[in-house]
Amino acid sequence: MTATPEDRPSSSWSLMASELSVLFRRLRTWAMLLALAAIPILIAAAVKLSSHPVAPGRGPPFLDRITQNGLFVGVTALVVSVPLFLPLTIGVVAGDTIAGEANLGTLRYLLVAPAGRVRLLLIKYTAAAVFCLAATLTVAAAGALAGVVLFPVGPVTLLSGDTIGVGESVARSLLIAAYVAVSLLGLSAIGLAISTFTDIPVGAMAATIVLSVVSQVADNLPQLEWLHPWLFSHYWLGFADLLRQPISWVSFGNNALLQAGYILAAWALAYGKFTSKDVLS
Amino acid sequence: MTRPWLRWLPAAMVPVALAAAALAGSYQAGAATSLPHKTAAEVIAMIGRSEVRALSGTLQQNSELGLPQLPSTGPAATQGPASVIELLSGSHTARVYVDGPSKARFQVMDMLAERDLVRNGNDLWLYNSADNSAAHMTLPAEPATGSPAPHATPTPGMATPDVVAQHFLAAVEPSTEVSVGDGTTVAGRTAYQLVIKPRSTGTLVDSVTIAVDSASGLPLGVDVRARGQAAAAFSLAFTDVNLSAPDAGLFSFTPPRGAAVEEKATPQLRALPGKTGQAPQTKAAAGRPTITGSGWDAVISLPAGTVPTDVRATPMFAQLTQAVPGGRALTTSLVSVLMLDDGRVFAGMVPLERLQAAAAPQ
Repeated sequence: MTATPEDRPSSSWSLMASELSVLFRRLRTWAMLLALAAIPILIAAAVKLSSHPVAPGRGPPFLDRITQNGLFVGVTALVVSVPLFLPLTIGVVAGDTIAGEANLGTLRYLLVAPAGRVRLLLIKYTAAAVFCLAATLTVAAAGALAGVVLFPVGPVTLLSGDTIGVGESVARSLLIAAYVAVSLLGLSAIGLAISTFTDIPVGAMAATIVLSVVSQVADNLPQLEWLHPWLFSHYWLGFADLLRQPISWVSFGNNALLQAGYILAAWALAYGKFTSKDVLS
Repeated sequence: MTRPWLRWLPAAMVPVALAAAALAGSYQAGAATSLPHKTAAEVIAMIGRSEVRALSGTLQQNSELGLPQLPSTGPAATQGPASVIELLSGSHTARVYVDGPSKARFQVMDMLAERDLVRNGNDLWLYNSADNSAAHMTLPAEPATGSPAPHATPTPGMATPDVVAQHFLAAVEPSTEVSVGDGTTVAGRTAYQLVIKPRSTGTLVDSVTIAVDSASGLPLGVDVRARGQAAAAFSLAFTDVNLSAPDAGLFSFTPPRGAAVEEKATPQLRALPGKTGQAPQTKAAAGRPTITGSGWDAVISLPAGTVPTDVRATPMFAQLTQAVPGGRALTTSLVSVLMLDDGRVFAGMVPLERLQAAAAPQ
């Protein structure tokens, strides 16, 4: 296959489309998205069925607000799923990117084109990034649906005590989903880099998930305070800044910058390994 | 693939470049700047002349007071007297909005929560998102002169700021060395550094540095250093500041639906004795406190019965203090407090041994 300049973009797009359709046609992907959607539904049902009103300050943040306003279900679910459930699914998808193909023996067929390796990395990473957004939106959307069905919906109280209308609260929920999706991009890049180092997808998945846990544990140790701003999980719960009045964009910016740094570093590593790798399978 | 090692080059270069960029950024933040020379009196006068009426900014506070770690999350941490201790220890980020003397909003940004203080005219609202509670207070019609802004603008009265500055310097001169340090950058603005250094070696305070905006005279940050401690014991500084009037909507606060609202009595306007740093200790000064010594190593002693005994019963008291012969003591890197079993209380910015010496019968 000799790629001429004219047909390359179109073939990239078709490769991208086929990659996405493979990802989103897998039973595993749907199972993970369904499991993520179950989190807000479980929270909403538990609060609805419980006979005791939730005392303020007990349980996950915002839990006590749910009975007053269903729109908080999505936010509570995101707070609950950011530390473990979302990184778990991201780790599975990102760790599988290259190692999964190598394990199935399909990697060499994908690499017949001479300049194909960087493009393949790019396509694989884009698919993983799309999954980040899909996973976050699934939690937020399932939360909004469960909240609307089970609880009254009305003006939303922000952390600052100010109240905003339903329209603006939906916009802020989408912003929060975007924030969380951006937060997970660094982890996806790390998963991609690890995936180039092994032919065993389970190893790459486990290593990615373990790294996300290690990063969060280190972030909670006061002895490692100097390290905290450098950990990719440092701003994961910073999306609360989008629930203040006025919105504080500082953590959004810091988070985006930090994730960009991790993406660059992980990409450089993935490029070094993958372009110099002997692909035998 | 003639040179495979070349492909590893980005992996080696990118982290180095990122680290360099991050380091360059942090160097720029605290970079020394050269400003036209000013004497300490001129810098103090500049603060007095400051005409900043409105601002919005973000404050960053860090404390290394050596206080025992108290739980910083959960509802108990941000309520009652514990909140004062909680605010004094650890790190906090807060946003400040000020528009004139009667409109202010202060937001302490906690993890997934926020504590708000809103003043609009005579209405004062406190809101805590952790337990969704609000408190309202009506301030007396003639408000106190102190502005609720973090910087207390000195009231010049009839004297000009220059004269006040001269008087102030003359008054503190015997005990304190006041000088102007190198220019610095705070929140992207060039600032003079006013360095206040106790002459006495008996005090725990090593130096107090106040960064004063070179353009407006607004104090941008304060840094209190303790003797024998590398990190600043207490620092409070703007990380960004904007001197234009904030959105007026920020100052109109109505408690959210479902919030527990408490109406509090109007606070008694009573001049609080003591320095601001000692406010928690000197709050209940019903008896006549006596001060021994002068300047930085002064020791304030309260006779028995001035501190309510139920303070000692709280679990926080036991957590914060340690047992010493004859009572309990609170030691921080800046202030020591000795509470004797007979009810007397000694406090000062001195080591504990000095308090014990002052308490010993002569």
